[in-house]
Amino acid sequence: MTLDQTNAADIMMGDVVRLEDVLSRDSVTSVCKSFFGLFGLPVRVISHEGDLLADVHRDQPLCNYLNTLGNGERECARTVGVVRDLEHDVQTIVHPCFTGAVYRIVPLEYQGRPIGRFIVGPYVPAETTQPPESLLSIDESIDAATACAHFDTMPRVREHVAEEISAHLKGVLELLLFSGHRAQLASTMQVASVRENYRELAEKNEALKSSFEELKKLDQLKSTFLATVSHELRSPLTSIIGYTEMLESGAAGALSNGQAEFLGTIRNKADQLLGLISSLLDLGRLEAKSLDLKHEPIDPHALLSDLAATIVPTANRRNVSLDIQIGDETPKLWGDPVRLSQILLNLADNAVKFSDEGGMVTIRAEQGEIDAAGASGLGAALFTASRPAVLLTVQDGGMGIAEHNLSKIFDAFYQVDAGTTRVHGGAGLGLSIVKQLVDGHGGKIEVTSTLGEGTIFSVTLPAADEDA
Amino acid sequence: MAGDPRFEMQIDFAAKELTVKLVYYGPALSGKTSNLRAIHWLGTSNACGDLMTLETKNDRTLFFDMLPITVSSGSGLKVRLKLFTVPGQVMHNATRRLVLQGTDGVAFIADSQRSEADANRESFLNLKCNLEENAIDPERIPIIIQFNKRDMASIRTDEELELIAQRSREPIYKAVATRGYGVMQTLRGLIRDTWTKLEEDHELEEKFGISPIHFMTEVEAKLKHDPGPRGR
Ligand SMILES: Nc1nc2c(ncn2[C@@H]2O[C@H](COP(=O)(O)OP(=O)(O)O)[C@@H](O)[C@H]2O)c(=O)[nH]1
Ligand SMILES: [Mg+2]
Repeated sequence: MTLDQTNAADIMMGDVVRLEDVLSRDSVTSVCKSFFGLFGLPVRVISHEGDLLADVHRDQPLCNYLNTLGNGERECARTVGVVRDLEHDVQTIVHPCFTGAVYRIVPLEYQGRPIGRFIVGPYVPAETTQPPESLLSIDESIDAATACAHFDTMPRVREHVAEEISAHLKGVLELLLFSGHRAQLASTMQVASVRENYRELAEKNEALKSSFEELKKLDQLKSTFLATVSHELRSPLTSIIGYTEMLESGAAGALSNGQAEFLGTIRNKADQLLGLISSLLDLGRLEAKSLDLKHEPIDPHALLSDLAATIVPTANRRNVSLDIQIGDETPKLWGDPVRLSQILLNLADNAVKFSDEGGMVTIRAEQGEIDAAGASGLGAALFTASRPAVLLTVQDGGMGIAEHNLSKIFDAFYQVDAGTTRVHGGAGLGLSIVKQLVDGHGGKIEVTSTLGEGTIFSVTLPAADEDA
Repeated sequence: MAGDPRFEMQIDFAAKELTVKLVYYGPALSGKTSNLRAIHWLGTSNACGDLMTLETKNDRTLFFDMLPITVSSGSGLKVRLKLFTVPGQVMHNATRRLVLQGTDGVAFIADSQRSEADANRESFLNLKCNLEENAIDPERIPIIIQFNKRDMASIRTDEELELIAQRSREPIYKAVATRGYGVMQTLRGLIRDTWTKLEEDHELEEKFGISPIHFMTEVEAKLKHDPGPRGR
């Protein structure tokens, strides 16, 4: 069964192009053989294009004998030639031979189109008892007695039986044709569907890829934009703060109480703005991967006591107590001291902010681990399972964060809800910067939270080598 | 029917033979295969060939069903109508698109049950899409709609269908495919509309000397064993 010779138009119309596309010579031949075995009648199957698909017969003594005679041989060849080319779209043709035998030519039609035919014969209709004159006079050297003897050995069948037998064979061949066609269509469709699916997927992939490229470009643009804008904003702001400080210090003359108070507020707000802009700048740099991190050993005790000193005033103002714990075995950290302080300050500041009046914030440093390979990844046995690390946790007893929000809190500009932004200030930049910084250190940050009970941020950072 | 010449209706002038492809489209389980089965047992045996079904073991159409009908007209023109169904399940979209290639007319088999309204709509949009993908203009190809399963409970009422038919651009037919009601009316309607369109595009009367009315009379004669008094 060849798929490639069948053209697209025929597939889409579900047509059979050539008989041999759907019927194998072997199966046609074996059907014809069993037919011959049963009825002793010779059969040939020929496609519409004239190819012989099966030919099952036994040489007849009469034919052999006639072939030794000049006229006999010529007339025999002519008859066979005529019979081979006889074709009618729908009707069976019974073609006589000069020997008194006949050929029965039965058309095979499929879905309204001629597709081939089969030829039963030569056989002698049982109704014919005597050899005809046309046989005995075919050649002057013919021996009538021999011819008659051979004539009697020809296969013999009554015409109505021959008709029934032919109808039966036609049925069998058409059934074979039908199931062969069915199988051909199924496999053609299978292949065509797979191709069509593939084409569709490839198209979609292409579209996805180009929109992904587009997004990446936009993201790049955003980072560059952030970095540029925040840088440009900072310069005039620094001047504003500078002049405000000069005014406050009396550089332009003494101030009234009211003026001093207003200037204080201006400076305060300007400082806030500067902090915000710096965050933006950090974010821009982090996203552009252009932030340089130092790497040096950092003592956890020093880190946490600095943190405590910075955060205590805010905590006191909100009547939140701080509990700072450092585990005995806690190794030194390996990273950028300024950035690590920034990470912790951000988390601690948040914890205090989101604690209720009279609440408690716990900050802990202890020994931890970082998975070197994926925890149970392929070939995990071949990799160092983990390396030494420091686990820093910041825990508050505040209102907590709902489960569905947990995955979003590290996104830039995300605040759990607009309300908390208004109460606590901030642009939602803090946690995204924290995450980027932690990632930049090769560490990881996780958050767990229970609504109404509080939130725990766990930061795991690489430890310095033992001898550092 | 513009564009790719492979997808034009097949005309063989030498053999005076014309092949017309008709596709039964619609959501899964709306009764497309049942329509073809009914046509097969209602149609006269000398016109209808064997129904070929390519289905999975639980009777769901995998690639398509195909029923060939041959109408040899008195004028010597032979018209081969090839009826196809598509697999309705959403996942077989590629196959649906392939089967739809080169179609000359579409019978959209809708399920009358109220619960299936969404599935009908979705499948119709899918039909539009796939026609366009095959460079067939959905505005120009003959489409008729059959509301099948009229024997079921909680279906759109006849009054509702009446209203729908008034607003509808496509002719509406009603059927109970499993019992053969309305199936032949649907088929005849589809053939009539398709032939009218083919006549416009290809001037068949001029080429083959057979008028649309004449042709439809011959088709009716070939497909006359329809017991169904229902439908339009
Ligand atoms: N009651 C009822 N059932 C039908 C009718 N037409 C089809 N069905 C049934 O609906 C199911 C799906 O029919 P089928 O022809 O295979 O749907 P297809 O997926 O569109 O080919 C079968 O169980 C049918 O017996 C109808 O007119 N009335
Ligand atoms: Mg089906």
